Amino acid sequence: MSFEPRILGFLCNWCSYAGADLAGVSRIQYPPNMRVIRVMCSGRVDPQFIFEALQQGLDGVYVMGCHIGDCHYLEGNHEAIKKFNMVIKFLSIVNLENRVRLDWVSASEGVRFSELVSEFIQDIKNIGPSPLRRDCPDKRLMEKLKAIERAAASDRIRALVGRERKITEQENVYGEKVSQEIYDELLNTAIHDEYIRSRILILLEKEPKSVKDIAAEIEIDPNKVLENILVLKGRAQVDMSEIVDITPIYVRT
Amino acid sequence: MKKVGSVLVVGAGIGGSQASLDLGDAGYKVYLVESTTSIGGVMAQLDKTFPTNDCAMCIVSPKLVETGRHQNVDLFINVEILDVKGEAGNFTVKILKKTLHVNVDKCTGCGICGRECPVEAIDIFNEGLARHSATSVKYPQAVPLVYAINRDYCIGCGICLGVCKAKAVEYGMEDEIMEINVGAIILAPGFDEYIPPEGNKYGYGKFKNVVTSIEFERILSASGPYSGKILRPSDGDVPEKVAFLQCIGSRDYRDGQPYCSSVCCMYTTKEAIIAKEHMNLLNPTIFSMDIRAYGKDFDKYIHRAQEEYGVRYIRSRISHLEEDPKTQDLIVTYEDETGIIAKEMYNLAVLSVGLNPPNDAVYLSEKFGVDLNEFNFVRTDIFNPVQTSRAGIFACGAFTSPKDIPETVTQASAAAGCVNQLLHDQRGTLITEKSLPPEIFVAGQPPRIGAFICHCGINIGGYVDVPEVTRYAGTLPNVVLADRNLYTCSADTQTIIKEKIKEYNLNRVIVASCTPRTHEPLFQETIREAGLNRYLFQMANIRDQCSWVHMHEPEEATRKAKDLIRMAVNSAREIQPLERIRLSVTPKVLVIGGGISGMVAARNLAFQEFETYLIEKGSVLGGHARNIYTTLEGGNVQEYLSNLINEINSNKLIHVYTQAKIENIEGYIGNFKTSIIHGEKKEKVKFKHGVVIVATGADEYEPTEFLYGKDDRIIKQSEFEKLINTTDDIRKKKSVVMIQCVGSRNTEHPYCSRMCCAEAIKNAIKTKELNPETEVIILYRDIRTYGFKELYYRKAREAGIFFIRFDETKPPEVRVEKDNLKIIVENPKIGKISIDSDMIVLSVGIVANGVENEEMGKMLKVPLNEDNFYLEAHVKLRPVEFATEGIFLAGLSHCPKSIEDSISQANAAVSRACTILSKDEIEAEGKVACIDITRCSGCGMCVENCAYNAIELILDRRFGLVASINQVLCKGCGACSGNCRCSAIDILGFTGEQIYEMITGRVE
Amino acid sequence: MNEAAIENKGEIKQWNPKIIAFLCNWCSYAGADLAGVSRIQYPPTIRVVRVPCSGRINPFFIIKSLMDGWDGVVVSGCHPGDCHYISGNLVARRRFAILKDLLDFFGIEPERVQFMWASAAEGERFAVLIKKITKLMRKVGPNDRFKKKW
Repeated sequence: MSFEPRILGFLCNWCSYAGADLAGVSRIQYPPNMRVIRVMCSGRVDPQFIFEALQQGLDGVYVMGCHIGDCHYLEGNHEAIKKFNMVIKFLSIVNLENRVRLDWVSASEGVRFSELVSEFIQDIKNIGPSPLRRDCPDKRLMEKLKAIERAAASDRIRALVGRERKITEQENVYGEKVSQEIYDELLNTAIHDEYIRSRILILLEKEPKSVKDIAAEIEIDPNKVLENILVLKGRAQVDMSEIVDITPIYVRT
Repeated sequence: MKKVGSVLVVGAGIGGSQASLDLGDAGYKVYLVESTTSIGGVMAQLDKTFPTNDCAMCIVSPKLVETGRHQNVDLFINVEILDVKGEAGNFTVKILKKTLHVNVDKCTGCGICGRECPVEAIDIFNEGLARHSATSVKYPQAVPLVYAINRDYCIGCGICLGVCKAKAVEYGMEDEIMEINVGAIILAPGFDEYIPPEGNKYGYGKFKNVVTSIEFERILSASGPYSGKILRPSDGDVPEKVAFLQCIGSRDYRDGQPYCSSVCCMYTTKEAIIAKEHMNLLNPTIFSMDIRAYGKDFDKYIHRAQEEYGVRYIRSRISHLEEDPKTQDLIVTYEDETGIIAKEMYNLAVLSVGLNPPNDAVYLSEKFGVDLNEFNFVRTDIFNPVQTSRAGIFACGAFTSPKDIPETVTQASAAAGCVNQLLHDQRGTLITEKSLPPEIFVAGQPPRIGAFICHCGINIGGYVDVPEVTRYAGTLPNVVLADRNLYTCSADTQTIIKEKIKEYNLNRVIVASCTPRTHEPLFQETIREAGLNRYLFQMANIRDQCSWVHMHEPEEATRKAKDLIRMAVNSAREIQPLERIRLSVTPKVLVIGGGISGMVAARNLAFQEFETYLIEKGSVLGGHARNIYTTLEGGNVQEYLSNLINEINSNKLIHVYTQAKIENIEGYIGNFKTSIIHGEKKEKVKFKHGVVIVATGADEYEPTEFLYGKDDRIIKQSEFEKLINTTDDIRKKKSVVMIQCVGSRNTEHPYCSRMCCAEAIKNAIKTKELNPETEVIILYRDIRTYGFKELYYRKAREAGIFFIRFDETKPPEVRVEKDNLKIIVENPKIGKISIDSDMIVLSVGIVANGVENEEMGKMLKVPLNEDNFYLEAHVKLRPVEFATEGIFLAGLSHCPKSIEDSISQANAAVSRACTILSKDEIEAEGKVACIDITRCSGCGMCVENCAYNAIELILDRRFGLVASINQVLCKGCGACSGNCRCSAIDILGFTGEQIYEMITGRVE
Repeated sequence: MNEAAIENKGEIKQWNPKIIAFLCNWCSYAGADLAGVSRIQYPPTIRVVRVPCSGRINPFFIIKSLMDGWDGVVVSGCHPGDCHYISGNLVARRRFAILKDLLDFFGIEPERVQFMWASAAEGERFAVLIKKITKLMRKVGPNDRFKKKW
């Protein structure tokens, strides 16, 4: 069964977009499945754009920037890598990570551009249509993706990603470098925590629930749910509304 | 070597804080060092305290704030001890001040850094139950309230620097080494709780619904992670059945410590009661070997737990727990007293973990050169439990042995008392009195109010429209200046406030910022430095009680801030300057009671050159101790006693009066007048003194039960002690049976006399030593060998002494047969047994002399408890003093206790007394009650309502019977004023006028 | 999405009664501070008067507050047994039991005057109680009986 994927491309103005133009000027042919949004730099691509695109039912998202070292804004593409890594980590939770891709294409690489795009389209064709396509979106998956979107927007994640290069590649405030392993561990924990918290919040926004109900829905240990409920309670985002029999019910405040 | 008038206190829990306050008040310079980042120790983690169910935070936080602000106490947090040199009187201590990376002087504790920190680390204070960030403060009410960066977790992202408006974050801040010179050292590092190791039999760490008691304490706490709701960790449900397992890590020769941790029986009972109070559907069960409720009013507490709260006690030690993997409930298997094995299911299990010595005990002992005992608690003198093996270094609290809060506080004061004795001639040499300008005369002038409104970074400014509020404040009547500051509490703002006071001729100052509970004294000091009376100040709390609690309603918050400021201005208009009354102090002491407590107190005081009057009702000194030959630990009591009596008799500053009776005591703190009659000739003596120490002791219970008095082979424990220590008669005895709890823990005397178990075991062991052939049987209800005394219990069992338990409802029966005494006792497990014996020893309790205590209580206006022992000012934090100031308490008249504890209490009473005696004059708080006698009808209601005996009715020449207030004794609570039917009494600083103005100022 | 926006969404502007709260310095005032430090939100309806002890509160203060048009009065002290001044809160308790009857006799809605206990550790409880009392006061309605009309 074959289908025509719908793919969104974010192309940086100075290299990739120019590369795409070159492909056109050179009349290099490639499949028509990608729609392009021009951005000034790949670093401009907010992870939120990608999550939004996936929620809209697009089958793939392609981010393209200048080659490392060529960035018109010096280091924008370095930042793009960090953000993209975070996006991949989040999407792995819901197995959507292979629907997004990051590559570098220079202004002179019209051929490379068309090859990469063709390849990505083929890969997406192989995976099949997005489970979030508008006609029949997978509601559970959509909810998870919404949670991801919210989690990725949290101060904690954005702060960590925003400082990653400074603390792992240059030096932190103490003049030291933090090893990539330590950083990754921190980011992984943060992603995991914030994802669960967002899921809890989204569930509670629909209706009050108990720890066990939430645990069953998210499919994690009730103990972990309780821990995170307490954190959310500390942030005044949830509250205990009543105790039914022996089970407390929580609500979104 | 020259002595130095300063003291180092190591550890700032409740013990260290108390010792620092005592010494600071007595005129010594105190360096209080703490290894963590805030003071308060374990007590600040507790929800409630036994046996009164007092809220721990409510009672401890004022004390911590006082410690943090005391002008003679320098507090250093996050400190490590590097080196100690010197000798008693002059030590040099090198300490390492580890950097917090936060400037303590600038940090306002607002907590933005903590909220913005992307790294969530474990929150130590909540025992791992809640998370905190890498920059954190231990708990919201911490003293000092500063955040610290935890370098173990911090990744150096720099976000906190960016968000801190106070510019307090300084990553470059380095560790600092400091050398301090002190005359004495007090070690108060506290304890660390036992943590069941990996692979433990209770599944702690593996089963989610097994928690330790200290974790449970945080679960209970209203400010803990569960906000006081009791939920089980596995699924957040309310556990209906909760099992408490006693002696985890205590009385355990295999996996834990062999000693008894002293406090677990009581804290578990408290946790069970509070849990039940918080959630009524919960049913607590406590599994324990003995119930060791040996302290004052402890047994009554256990009774309440059983009767009122339905707490179930099962006499069984649980050796392991199993988990039902499906429900994650826990299965407890136990053998009850009758020998039946049962299995029960519980939803939550709490392990009552014991008290271990502090983790750094060995390190401390090496640095300070003090010996440890075999368990790594500090080794102390046999008769002075606060004296370490090195002169000039004292210890207090759980570092000397596991103990509860009042005993810790007592020991802390006792250690301070010993420091007083050592350094008394250096008192006041290292502290500086601040020189202040004379006060500007403002009475009668129209109010000129200056209002300073704080942005508190964005803490207020982010939610309240501060410029608008400032503009509004400027429009209020009598406000001549309204100004706003980024941080009103910062050092530079203090200078600004002082300048503005001069520039605008301000005579009232208002600060609208955070809470007066922590910041009022700072601003009062500032205006005083500018020459204004410190009471011409008023605060509006627009942060803690406004911006922080209405973060989503900025308009309403702004309106509320305006209201609060208007109310403050209205109140300020009515404020009058207040004076603190000063009173001279007679540096002499009356000690009532010539037992060990009284004599130790008198000796210490005389050593410090305070003239002391020691009066004894009997004809000789020595009191209860005259019946005791040794202590359980082997101290020679008679030798100690005779040395002490000699010292007392040979000291010229101690005036001893025997066969003495107090005729009259009048006066108040600093100025008492007493007349006594003494001696056979009933001579009359009168003297003046500044304080009173009550150490009148207690009596041995005179038994009527068990045929005492009917047969001379039935004797009291003290008689038995005399027999084995002075005669050889014991060699002829084949069998001795001791009966415990005679005249204790019954309806007539519902309390435990605490020492009888130890006394019985001591004499039983001695008997075995003298004649191994003698069979010794001890009939008991609970064996209460708390602390290290537990070791002697084991020793006794090993020596072949039999222990047979009987139930309260089925006491043993004694019969006199021809040559024999027969005892029939019923044990729940083995049933009825009859024992033939040729001697029965009754372990009789300690009873208060109700008649004498009542008479004395009336004379001194101090209260007694239900058992006729004296009632201290506060069961937890003021154990050696009365609510009436200047009167202190020590020894058996407080409650049954050991000789060592009596000695500690006596030294503690001396320390508390020194905070008064060391001053030429004492200063009373200015916010006190005052009376308009023209309105007083003399009804006497206020006299009854005053808890401090500060009011009495006097006969006025013009107005007849009227109330008279002793402002020195008044604490300013206002109970009198609130009840006064004639509005004759008002409270200065909180006058009715001020409050009415605040009420009526609503119009908008 | 912005969190504050979510919080505010769907909240209808309600009448905010003006409540005067007499809090004892040692427990309730500290509890109110703790609510702040812990950022526990409650309606902006109370104006706090700090007093040393609930025993300080003269019944006149309460009557005067009602006469002056405050919609409600809250009196909060330490829990029984926790009083910093030993027994001040018990003295207060006895006093207010009588006052309650008197208010009833006057014809003032007894709900307008609320007595509560809150300890220094009960920041959350404090907020919950204020929420509850605010709700109750909204039901009772404005206290305009004593409004001066001239």
